[in-house]
Amino acid sequence: MKKVATIILNRNLPDVANRLYEKFQNNDAKETDIFIVESGSSKKNLSKHYTWWANWEDSLEHGLRYPRGFNYALSKLLEEKKFKSYDYYFLVCNDVEFEQKPIIKTLVNEMIKHPRVGILSPCSPLWGEKILLSKNETKYFWYAQFISWFVRREYMEDVMALEKPTYMDFLFDGENFRGYEADIELIIKGYANDWATAITTKVLINENETYLKTRADLMKTDPYDENLRKVLKEGKKWLRTKYGFNSRWTINLYSKFFYDQFFEYYPELSKYKV
Amino acid sequence: MIQRKLESFMARRRCTLLGVGPMSKNCVDVTIELANNYKIPLMLIASRRQIDSARFDGGYVNNWTTEKYAKYVIDRDKRGMTILARDHGGPWQNTNEKDQNMSLRQAMASAKKSFEDDIKSGFEIIHIDPSIDIHGSLTVDDILERACELLDYCCEIAKREKKEIIFEIGTEEQSGGTNTMEEFEYSLNEVFKFCKKNKIQNPSFIVVQTGTKVMEMRNIGSFNSPFRIVNELPAEIQIPKVIELCNKYNIFMKEHNTDYLSDEALKWHPKFGIHSANVAPEYGLAETQGLVELLEANNMKKLVEKFLKISFDSKKWEKWMLPNTKATDRERALIAGHYVFSKPEVIEIKKKAQIRLKNISIDEYLKAKISDSIMRYLRNFRLLNLV
Repeated sequence: MKKVATIILNRNLPDVANRLYEKFQNNDAKETDIFIVESGSSKKNLSKHYTWWANWEDSLEHGLRYPRGFNYALSKLLEEKKFKSYDYYFLVCNDVEFEQKPIIKTLVNEMIKHPRVGILSPCSPLWGEKILLSKNETKYFWYAQFISWFVRREYMEDVMALEKPTYMDFLFDGENFRGYEADIELIIKGYANDWATAITTKVLINENETYLKTRADLMKTDPYDENLRKVLKEGKKWLRTKYGFNSRWTINLYSKFFYDQFFEYYPELSKYKV
Repeated sequence: MIQRKLESFMARRRCTLLGVGPMSKNCVDVTIELANNYKIPLMLIASRRQIDSARFDGGYVNNWTTEKYAKYVIDRDKRGMTILARDHGGPWQNTNEKDQNMSLRQAMASAKKSFEDDIKSGFEIIHIDPSIDIHGSLTVDDILERACELLDYCCEIAKREKKEIIFEIGTEEQSGGTNTMEEFEYSLNEVFKFCKKNKIQNPSFIVVQTGTKVMEMRNIGSFNSPFRIVNELPAEIQIPKVIELCNKYNIFMKEHNTDYLSDEALKWHPKFGIHSANVAPEYGLAETQGLVELLEANNMKKLVEKFLKISFDSKKWEKWMLPNTKATDRERALIAGHYVFSKPEVIEIKKKAQIRLKNISIDEYLKAKISDSIMRYLRNFRLLNLV
């Protein structure tokens, strides 16, 4: 039985999703089952490897975006009674590019080495975080952006919706449609439940934004700048409505508070503190 | 005394101290007025290009020499709330040192003379920044060696002149966006070791990277950006990290390039515990825009055009341009405006305009504009008595 479920989120870019699927198939098939969730793609743009298709009217029109998209996939796995079969979930957006080599085993080994890590994010050579990490190093952060996360099931079980989780609430808060600060919310929930979030340079990623910048029409999504504007506007509203926070800095300090407290409980892990 | 003054002010209320770039005579006047009216310590942070010793023929701000500028400020600063500070003192920080292609020894000697005149004139905060070398790139150790030599020299002068000064070290030039935490801690350790060995005071401020960077008329750094900037550490990580390090070493952090940040970002400065922040071009722009608006509103288009041409032709806007900039000529001229305020042609333009504007004092109008701009920082930095 494979320990890892890799879930690829796709919207109307079958060639891109197929390439990513085949990359995992060629390099990591022994370690992971691979699923593709179609986030409201049109029928002609479904990946040939797709597993689930969110095809109700609203999803076809607006997509699910990453919070609802991964929630949907996870809820399908639960429904199919497969959720407990996996120890780890690799949540991957379709515009993420990896090195052409096996990576899942490396990520699993890292999770085994760091039993209090709930979320592990590969690092990008274009991220400033790399200056805090040496080559092949993993450290714990209070802030990490969701691009592709390797998530421990036990962590998920501690923070996920309890009753009949759906695409709106399985892991991410689906009310936060475009996901601004949805990642930091999960990090906070993690530290509050004794689970750290780590970034590792043992696996490297690159987010290929050219799809969003040049193929937004094909993806049936908002143009890049318009999307960023909406991400911020809707995200700020969500932050205010849910937490009464008026600034991204508030939720950041909130996260830092739980992060510092985590190391008070686990001083032996301080060597992984940034 | 200066150290105690700043510490006791900050102990009374959690705030961020403000360093104001003396962009013009009006800007200096407004700073003195606000510092005295509100009884808040405001630092006037003069770069060597703005104001330098008579030996170097002064600077572009009001054609002041260090000596005349210091006397001007001290005479008007009735309550002693305005702090004279040198910003980015060091070799090749004065244009003459570059133009004359000075060698290292010549440039260091020249920088020492400039510091000596600062101290003699009553400057109380000295920022030592030897990060420029026109003859090649520098390692962190090169910079530290030069910084320590200058630190030692300034202490000697201060002792001889019986002046009390405090120091700021570091630069925003080290690595462009963000200096690494290791480099930051290493530099602090080395300087503190040097100070202990030579029995001189530790620096009081260190320049830290918080994700601020001014280009054109905005702040393009990560502090102001809710989205990731390539190759920059997110401000969400950078800021708490540097604050932790400053607190560990018991040194005040000084943010440079704070201009044009949003009110929201500024309000977070005291909350984060950012001890002080420098703002300069924004005040120059406020005055320039004020002048242009006033003349345009009073149908003095020819004078405006003449002013904008002088400013544009100065090319002082060049270093502020983004790659692939879309800035218009007018915007470029506005950015460079404060550099040409002291040119005789611009003084003449203002004189002509003043003759026509019978009921408005141009300088009072411009001072009000600068004051508004500075007040935004005083409010957000919790420097005003809010109770």
